[in-house]
Amino acid sequence: MDRKEILSELKKVLAPYTESKEMLAGINEETDLIKDLKINSANLVDIIIDAEAQYNIEIDFDAAEKMYNVGNCIDVISEKINKTA
Amino acid sequence: MISAGNDIVALNVIDVQRTQSPAFYSKFITPTEFDLYNPNEITLINFVWLIWSAKESAYKYLKRINPELIFAPAKIKVVSLDIVVSLKTENVHNYRGWILAEDMSLPFLSVTRPEFISTVITQGDVKWNFLKIEASDYENQSKAVRSLLLNDLKISNVSVEKHPTGYPVLMKDGQELNIAVSFAHHGCYVSYSFQISE
Repeated sequence: MDRKEILSELKKVLAPYTESKEMLAGINEETDLIKDLKINSANLVDIIIDAEAQYNIEIDFDAAEKMYNVGNCIDVISEKINKTA
Repeated sequence: MISAGNDIVALNVIDVQRTQSPAFYSKFITPTEFDLYNPNEITLINFVWLIWSAKESAYKYLKRINPELIFAPAKIKVVSLDIVVSLKTENVHNYRGWILAEDMSLPFLSVTRPEFISTVITQGDVKWNFLKIEASDYENQSKAVRSLLLNDLKISNVSVEKHPTGYPVLMKDGQELNIAVSFAHHGCYVSYSFQISE
């Protein structure tokens, strides 16, 4: 799965947690989950759990703390997918 | 340096089933922190979200001091938690505790009510308030929490602006006031805290 495909799937993971649907449609690697997508921080763990299910990976403590913007999310997911492959 | 940090969790919008799953809470509650859980004093759901709100409050407090800080819940450690007030018939409880993070010890106070959990870092002279609002969209939350703070502050001609790193700053006559403010919102609940002096 390349970064473009991960990004496309990530939009589905993020969708339930943001009101900014237009912003979500145009997200890029610089998009900040809280500042730009206005995702409530209380949903960050939900996003990690949903991402684990979506990509069939496990995201640990240390990796989870990097997932504050889209590019970092893709880095973490990509690394975990490659480890399980 | 003064700072402020608070957080609020609306219990009607959290996923109850997911909250009680170790796969969920173990993402931010360490086994040592889980030892603080006493089912005779707090429900698991309230414990999980109280710990979350304590960590989030500490992060906001510390982020103002260190703008480069990234939210890493496992590195913000809740080291004590004690019940201080309990109105069992109304299911209202107050807890106090301590957090260790970034080489600092921060005291906090949490209120659990049937509808929400609110936590504030109680370092220095701190004011804190929360409110139920009608609509839970971001714009309304943002407007409501600013209005709540400005009404309570009782200082004329003050406006709220956003620092580039994201925290709110209070401005009066073009000058930033020496009052550290923190905002929080979740669902139909908003809260603020501010610190005037150390």
